[in-house]
Amino acid sequence: MDVLLQQILNGLSIASVITLIAVGVTLIFGLTGIINFAHGEFLMVGSIVTWLAVSNGVSFWLAIILAMIVVAVMGFALERGLFRFTLERPTNGFIVSLGLIIVLQHIVILFWNANQKSIPRPLNTVWEIGGVRIASVRVMVIFITAAVVAMTFVAITRSRYGRALRASVEDRDTAALMGIPVRRYITGVFVLGSALAGLGGGLLIALFPITPFTGGTMVMKGFAVALIGGLGNLTGAVVAGLILGIVEGLSAGYGFSGWTDAYSFGLMILVLLFRPNGLFGGTSGPKMA
Amino acid sequence: MPVSNSLRSLLPVLILLVLFALVPLLSPSNRFLSLAISAGINVIALYGLSVLFGQTGILSMGHAALVGIGAYTAAIVARDFNVGFWLSIPLAGIMAAIVAALIGVPSLRVSGHHFVIMTFAFGQLLSIILTNGGDYTGAASGLDVQQPVALFGLSMDVLTHYYLMVVSFVALSAIASWAIINSRYGRTLRAIRENEKLAASLGINVGRHKIGAFVVSGIFAGVSGVLLAYFLRHISPSQFASFPSIYLALMVMIGGARLLLGPLAGGILVAFLPELLNLDPVQSRILYGVCLIAVILLLPNGLIAGIVAGWYRFFDRRPVQPNEPAVEREGK
Repeated sequence: MDVLLQQILNGLSIASVITLIAVGVTLIFGLTGIINFAHGEFLMVGSIVTWLAVSNGVSFWLAIILAMIVVAVMGFALERGLFRFTLERPTNGFIVSLGLIIVLQHIVILFWNANQKSIPRPLNTVWEIGGVRIASVRVMVIFITAAVVAMTFVAITRSRYGRALRASVEDRDTAALMGIPVRRYITGVFVLGSALAGLGGGLLIALFPITPFTGGTMVMKGFAVALIGGLGNLTGAVVAGLILGIVEGLSAGYGFSGWTDAYSFGLMILVLLFRPNGLFGGTSGPKMA
Repeated sequence: MPVSNSLRSLLPVLILLVLFALVPLLSPSNRFLSLAISAGINVIALYGLSVLFGQTGILSMGHAALVGIGAYTAAIVARDFNVGFWLSIPLAGIMAAIVAALIGVPSLRVSGHHFVIMTFAFGQLLSIILTNGGDYTGAASGLDVQQPVALFGLSMDVLTHYYLMVVSFVALSAIASWAIINSRYGRTLRAIRENEKLAASLGINVGRHKIGAFVVSGIFAGVSGVLLAYFLRHISPSQFASFPSIYLALMVMIGGARLLLGPLAGGILVAFLPELLNLDPVQSRILYGVCLIAVILLLPNGLIAGIVAGWYRFFDRRPVQPNEPAVEREGK
């Protein structure tokens, strides 16, 4: 029983990072139609920025904010410089993002080598309740994620900007006729998603050491969760992220750690096959004009 | 297309390959030969990919996994049943074709970018399975291949001989690919690429032909996997994970999938460019990535088609074939 609770808790903190990626993916893919597999590399860059900042004596809290800003700026530049030219052809965007994976990974390796990188834990307290060890850093990650995702949710579903955004997904032309700057909203969503990836990277390196290759597996999980939850569906992404995180945590705890990455791939293939709109319903990408 | 006209597309490829076969006379370095062999092995898989992507219009981002199936089949039958090089070629071709058909089945239900993502996930899944296969697949450290390769009593393990053998395999796959492109079958595949619904309404069994294209490309991939396994003498899951798949796609895009010269040009360029520019592996990978992005955004038909189009534009002549973007014209 203790093992079970322990693994569920560990799974929840991993699930938080996955959810942050998945929320970014579900927004970007679901609302703008850009298939950015380099999203995991955005996360990795976020981790690297946090690592660089913390190793240079910046406090962890400032470092994750820095990571968000750097990755958001990078997202802005890449959306304006590359992805905007692929909006009409999502598959080309996908291939561009695969090229981007290679470029970003190896630029990081070029400057900061391929070795594992870690930072000292920002919080060291470990609570022990009934034989279950609760590391406060994990709780911190869970809370930050919950807060950020809740804010994103409110912004998308309740604010007038969120409404304008959803309108432009529903019907680009009509939305544009209503005076909504659709192009600018696409960039905005991409930048928001990138910032979330930056935050996810900062939180990830607080939990585990990372390498320049960490992004590759994380992004597949993010996509799996986004597709399972239904594209553009934030609630679906959160639920699916929790399920995947807990399943992975449990299977690692019971001796199947080699297979943890396989669940997301397998699930994603199955969902695409049988429920292309996800388990909880969503767009299958925006309708192209 | 009249035979004389279609032969014109095969001839440059064959002339080039004959020239390549003469290269050993110049006593090139071992490093050059090794690079050329790896390039040739990739080109074989690329010819398969060009049938799938160039003719049928289906992009597979997990193609290295099929090469891996071929390589692992060769290594496992060599270990367990003492099967040699030549017999393992048809076996690996069949295995890779079966797996390719399995990967192709979802294409009946899922299309467009969703399917491309799916092929990518299949590739990843396969390398995870190989890593977790325990002793049977040698786990993360992989398998060794020890059987000698001989042809008519002549040892093929000499680098020059292996090089010549790979060149002849490349020639065979170029001819096979040419035969497919210029057959009724190839025309059917192109019809599916151009307009799936119209093709179906003309009585073409779209699903069967799509899976058929996967099977064909799987055979090429399986054969190239055997050549790879016997060349490297050691295979491991990471050789067939996502990066090699991305590189294969890069090569086919750089060369252009629709021209017979495309796969050859793509494979050779990607193999030798870092060597020519004297780049270390990390720099050359950055270069690959940048090339992939640039080709997709600027020359969606591939480099060779771009050069051909530029040539015609420069001399103000009309191209023989209309050059539409090979990549994707969805955006319905």
